[in-house]
Amino acid sequence: MKYKDYYATLGVERSASEEDIKKAYRKLARKYHPDVSKEKDAEEKFKEVGEAYEVLKDVEKRAAYDQMGSYQPGQDFRPPPDWGDRFGGEAGSQGFQDLGDIDLFDLLAGLNRGRTRGARGDAEFRMPGQDFEARVQVRLDDVINGVEIEIPIATTEMGQDGAVRRVTRPVKVRIPKGATDGQRLRVPGKGGQGMGGGRTGDLYLDIRLEPHELYKVDGHDLYLEVPAAPWEAALGANVEIPTPTGKVSLKIPPGSRAGQKLRVRGRGLPRPHGGESGDLYAVLQLVTPSVLSEAEKELYGKLAQASSFNPRGHFG
Amino acid sequence: MSSETYFAALFAEHGEVAFEELVQACGLSAEEIVELVEHGVFAPISASPARLPTSTWRFSATTIAIGRRASRLKADFDLNVSGLALALTYLERIEALEEELNRLRCGLLR
Repeated sequence: MKYKDYYATLGVERSASEEDIKKAYRKLARKYHPDVSKEKDAEEKFKEVGEAYEVLKDVEKRAAYDQMGSYQPGQDFRPPPDWGDRFGGEAGSQGFQDLGDIDLFDLLAGLNRGRTRGARGDAEFRMPGQDFEARVQVRLDDVINGVEIEIPIATTEMGQDGAVRRVTRPVKVRIPKGATDGQRLRVPGKGGQGMGGGRTGDLYLDIRLEPHELYKVDGHDLYLEVPAAPWEAALGANVEIPTPTGKVSLKIPPGSRAGQKLRVRGRGLPRPHGGESGDLYAVLQLVTPSVLSEAEKELYGKLAQASSFNPRGHFG
Repeated sequence: MSSETYFAALFAEHGEVAFEELVQACGLSAEEIVELVEHGVFAPISASPARLPTSTWRFSATTIAIGRRASRLKADFDLNVSGLALALTYLERIEALEEELNRLRCGLLR
């Protein structure tokens, strides 16, 4: 069994009071809670913090944990020989012959589980399965065509020997065409198993789109910056632009301005259930050549002389 | 390893869930959901929900995501319903601001 240093995870001394542990947890929860945090790896960190708190806030679990001794995080260890007799539970009766792949947290969680079940009796014990949540990042192409992804789901399972182990089961999920950034999906019945006839949990997915180098996404609409030369904006032009489903010809009308948005209908992301696709907006950007040839300079000069346009007229 | 593929369903924007389904899907108690409705965090679709029994309340399917977040915040921060309502309101506001920022970046408001 691998050791986890729950005290170090919460950043408290082994002698910390219940109050100190609570305070440390609250501070870290505020920092890493996936619903409020922008920290990298917030989800993973919060899981570790939550697990440490779950054990240390419980007087009995903490005592059982303390009695295991202190090791380096990740170090393989075996609880002292009399540990099982004193802290019993499901695990105690197994005599620690086969603890190699048991998770420390599951072992400690089993202490309470064993007692609860004994007291209430299996027949009355009915509990719905846990719902799982996962954040998945998909590419723009994926939501255009729909995609099959494999999500590793960490769950606990009871082995044939009756011991509860943590396992990672990959679940294959088809993300339907029409999903977009920030949307939630539900996979019914793919959460944890219920107990005593309780319903099976569901799997919830939170979809995030990977940023794309060309397109920005707003719902099902896409935005594409289209650079244009001053004369293309002034005189109008037909230019070729990319869209996720292939190139199209965009008509820049004469007298266009920088920042103007030109709509290309139906070239955004598909909507679910065969609804009309979102639109693509070409956002015009005026760019000027940084190096001018003699001929270009001369023509700009002529334009300057011929034009009465005053771009700063509103300054008065 | 299972090779079966499961199909994820989108919470349809126009889909609806009944009060009972919402209770089950977000892991909050019926009383807490009623309180969150009173705080204005959830809004049933029916016109004057206060006068109707909760069993007739229906919500937009997207309410499930908010409800599940509420349930996580409540469990992890030990919040009461008023604190929960406040946190949810702020989170909603932050998300609205982030969306606006995203639209600005798209050139929408330029």
